[in-house]
Amino acid sequence: MSKSSPQRISALSGHYVPDLSGELSADGSARVVLEHVPELVLYQVAGWADSMEQVGNRIAVAAGAASAPGPGQAIIGKKGALLRVEPMKWWLIGVEAPEIASQQGAVLDLSHSRTRIRVCGPQARECLNRFLPLDLRAQSFPAGSVASSAIHHVGVALWHVDNYYDLFVPRGFSLFIWDGMVEVARQFGLQVV
Amino acid sequence: MKSRRLPQGGRIDRKKSIRFTWDSKSLNGYQGDTLASALMAAGQQIAGRSFKYHRPRGIMSAGVEESGALVTIGRDSRKEPNVKATVQELYEGLEACGQNAWPSVRNDIGAVNSLLSRFFAAGFYYKTFMGPKALFGRGTGFWMQCEKFIRQAAGMGAASREPDPDCYDHAHAHCDVLVVGSGPAGLSAAIAAARAGLDVLLTEQDFELGGDLLNQDAAADAQRKKLIADACNHGVRIMTRTTAFGLYDHGVAGLVERVSDHLPDINPNLPRQRFWMVRSRYVILATGAIERQIAFGNNDRPGVMTASAGRAYLNRFGILPGERIVIATNNDSVYQPAMELADAGAIVSLIDVRENVPSKLIGQLGGSNISLRIRAAPLCVKGIRQIKALEYTTATSQGWQHGGLEDCDLLLISGGWSPVVNLLSHLGYKPVWNSEQACFVAPETDSPVFMAGSAAAVWNLDDCLVSGQSAGTQVAKLLGCSVRRKKSPAAGGWDGPIKPVYEVSVKGRQLKSLVDPQHDVTADDIRLAHREGFVSVEHLKRYTTLGMATDGGKVGNVIGLALMAEALGRDIPEVGTTTFRPPYTPVSVGALKGRNVGGHFRALRRTPMHDWNLEQGATMTMAGLWHRPWYFARDGEGIEEAYIREATTVRETVGLCDVTSLGKIAVQGPDATEFLNRVYTNPFAKLPIGKARYGIMLRDDGIVMDDGTTWRLSETEYFMTTTTAHAAKVMAWLEELLQTRWQDLKVHLTSVSEQWAGCAVAGPKSRDVIMACAESPDALSNQNLPFMGVAETLLKEGIPCRIARISFSGELAYEVYVPSDYAVSMMNLLWNQAQSLGGCLYGLEALGALRIEKGHVTGAELDGRVTIEDAGLGRMASPNKSFVGSALKNRPELVRDDRPMLVGIKPKDRSKTFNAGSILCKPGHVEGMGEGWVTAVTHSPALGHWIGLGFISGGHEAWQERIAIVTDPLRKDDVEAEIVSPHMYDPEGERMHV
Repeated sequence: MSKSSPQRISALSGHYVPDLSGELSADGSARVVLEHVPELVLYQVAGWADSMEQVGNRIAVAAGAASAPGPGQAIIGKKGALLRVEPMKWWLIGVEAPEIASQQGAVLDLSHSRTRIRVCGPQARECLNRFLPLDLRAQSFPAGSVASSAIHHVGVALWHVDNYYDLFVPRGFSLFIWDGMVEVARQFGLQVV
Repeated sequence: MKSRRLPQGGRIDRKKSIRFTWDSKSLNGYQGDTLASALMAAGQQIAGRSFKYHRPRGIMSAGVEESGALVTIGRDSRKEPNVKATVQELYEGLEACGQNAWPSVRNDIGAVNSLLSRFFAAGFYYKTFMGPKALFGRGTGFWMQCEKFIRQAAGMGAASREPDPDCYDHAHAHCDVLVVGSGPAGLSAAIAAARAGLDVLLTEQDFELGGDLLNQDAAADAQRKKLIADACNHGVRIMTRTTAFGLYDHGVAGLVERVSDHLPDINPNLPRQRFWMVRSRYVILATGAIERQIAFGNNDRPGVMTASAGRAYLNRFGILPGERIVIATNNDSVYQPAMELADAGAIVSLIDVRENVPSKLIGQLGGSNISLRIRAAPLCVKGIRQIKALEYTTATSQGWQHGGLEDCDLLLISGGWSPVVNLLSHLGYKPVWNSEQACFVAPETDSPVFMAGSAAAVWNLDDCLVSGQSAGTQVAKLLGCSVRRKKSPAAGGWDGPIKPVYEVSVKGRQLKSLVDPQHDVTADDIRLAHREGFVSVEHLKRYTTLGMATDGGKVGNVIGLALMAEALGRDIPEVGTTTFRPPYTPVSVGALKGRNVGGHFRALRRTPMHDWNLEQGATMTMAGLWHRPWYFARDGEGIEEAYIREATTVRETVGLCDVTSLGKIAVQGPDATEFLNRVYTNPFAKLPIGKARYGIMLRDDGIVMDDGTTWRLSETEYFMTTTTAHAAKVMAWLEELLQTRWQDLKVHLTSVSEQWAGCAVAGPKSRDVIMACAESPDALSNQNLPFMGVAETLLKEGIPCRIARISFSGELAYEVYVPSDYAVSMMNLLWNQAQSLGGCLYGLEALGALRIEKGHVTGAELDGRVTIEDAGLGRMASPNKSFVGSALKNRPELVRDDRPMLVGIKPKDRSKTFNAGSILCKPGHVEGMGEGWVTAVTHSPALGHWIGLGFISGGHEAWQERIAIVTDPLRKDDVEAEIVSPHMYDPEGERMHV
């Protein structure tokens, strides 16, 4: 193990078991697939009211994207993804944030603060709506949408990536929420990959 | 009632026989049956016993309004009482039994109550359960002893006392239009809205779609199938076995879906029921109407049911419900069912209250051999265990007169129809009385809710279809779709008007006329309540319990209101209206709680070293939602031995404690310093980079809110820690300050509680431990990291960390934070070193002991009543700046000299102990609220005896040379105590500066 990259131990470590169970389809497939995406790299980049544009431009470059997304939106760039999680805050995912002068904004490493759970499968949306009160219908929450919500009173962020969703759960609650999702997902037929 | 299954007809599948048990007797029904229809087909007349009088009851309806066939389903932990047999879907192996009866509903000893019924009238309990004192000299107490026997004699079914073994689900759904009810109006509304391009969700409480179309002839069934196919083709999302039980603001509805109640085998993957929260833009209530009874003598006998129920059993379930049937009505709706029953082979006679029966209806009867008697009404049912004959009356100018007796085995009643306006009523709208249709209808509203079909008092099928289309197109128009709005048909639709009749009686005849059969409320009870002064409907309800049974007044409310109006000599609308509240039908508590039970009752928050702590033998305890190590017992140790050993080790060598649960907030921005200076009572403007400072923040009212340390990481960035208990509150409060009061400050706050895992390293050898774990030990030397110093450096293995030299224990101590995924690596590093130096792991109990010795406050002391002066920290309130709470903290009440102040407490007899939560009193005045209270108690390893912290009037200076009494009013255990400075150990703080 090199000094620059000590080993990361996730919140689900020791509890994450591949699985195929529940009410599977006739062909034996699961309608909900849950996956923990480890080694999260997540920087929060915030701007001030008068500097949102500059900060947006800076992080768009960092992410390899044409522009920074507006509220409730996400953009996937060549290097990383940008999620506008709050009116004045982005999450930069997958790539280290550039330095930003304090007069322009603030950068914060949150890589260890969340557990990233990927929810896929034909009934991913139904499974998520067993917990989240969000309107996830295609017309209301198309791919590229981001929302903050809560599961069991725990604040979570949901990103509709493509044909799957990424859920960002506060680390300390993530095993609790993971266990709940596994239990609920069995009614759809569950695969843990 | 001689009911029997017909060889053909109905929607049941005669090829699929289903075996079930009723009162331990094995019976057969068919796929498509309800329990009620199967019981009826099996010729079971008595299905239940009434609430108070134990009167035998048969099946009285075919829907959720059932008041007779209330049964218990299942057994052991899955026993569910008060199930309406009329809506219980039959499944293989279903076990049902009668309730509120012994030995059985057929032969019930409790029926003796019926003989005493005149003593059990409304208000029986209120009038009876008091004095006289002469009665064993105990008055009301005597009756309290009787209560358990009386309760056993009256009531509904009994629930299982075992835990519910099933799981329940919660779900959320969104739609443009929620349509409740799948009758003709509901289906056509859904189709119209979906055709316009809207996202429509249709819910149906039944297990089959179609509403009243299910109860009609083959033509209706063909129409039903076409409507359903249309709805499916237009993408309507359909949920059966799903009751919309409550309607709330802005189109929010509560639904309960019976997912597996109808399945013979338990599937562990499926919930039993699912509670849905549906958020819709518009709601169309096509909830139908419920046929009313009429109050007359013995109108609850087995063999008396609503006319629509008779039709349902015939057409839907293929049962001839009786062979000699009398149908009594005051409206047009029974004529078609009468002909259908006659066609099926029954001898049918009709009695109609009205003088003028529409000639069209009389013409229709022409071809049948149904006899019709006009101006006639039912007066009294003959027969006890089942109806044998009906005594009817005829109307004369002097009122009702005895008419005659007609033999029958089934009496069908139609006293009019009540539109189901319940869900609209949930929103607070008062239904309005429509005297023409003799029913309550929905008022005009400004809510996004439309009524359709018979729920809007539209009585005939074609009009119901149009009514549904009208609602569907209206909603589509409002949502911007380009559709032609259909005009809604007016209420009504019968050929002849209804003649309202609520009660039939003849002067001088004592009759048991039930108004609310489920609670055994009679017409006489209503009049009694009136005589006793309960003239308001709301009082009437509560005094008689009318409408308060599991049907929520679906059957009895209108009749009760009409009788009260008659007693008062007023019209129904003047007397009042009826308010329906959620739920529409009973909802199991299990569905409401969903999966939030057992280990999921509340969220469990684990620190990143949770499993590591457990591996080291930690016994955990709750700290808010967190699980934290409480103590680490070694062989043979209990909690007391363990924490005393742990605290002693910390004072002597070194200890490690998981402090991840402390709240941590990143404060970033050019105005971060100014922000902190306004929030904390003490100055922060000049805190150097690389230094930490203990701070106290107040609420606006000058009371202490929280305390913690804040570390300056750079010119514009701070790392704030809060107490575990107040972390979320502080975060929300600071964010609120920024967003509402100080919008000009360029500051961002972010909770980093989850980002950083923390370990306290405390004890004389703590520096040795951390230096041995650091890549650059020198950075942590006494010189480079002095008291309150902060270092950002690397631990071995390249783990980035933040270390501050701060102490809660009073020893030389550090708090070490690493990004959470490195927590276990950090603990392994630190523990290897600490172990080699004779150190230990310590938990919350030892942490508590150490901090009590030092007089450091926590949430137990900062309980929302305490000022900064009370906590002995007044010197931390800067007189030279303004901060949150600085104005109001100086209110006279908050600066009184005799306020309770933080003190240390030592038992005078050092061998004694006392309890946290005890009251501190003056000797000789052990009473009332005393002079103060005890917040925390521990055995002090350093001092060798028990000590406590608490608050006492005037503080320890006022109690020098005085003894206080620590009293525990519950345990009556008074202890004499000395009141001392809260700083009971190392008051000068020398140990942490070494």
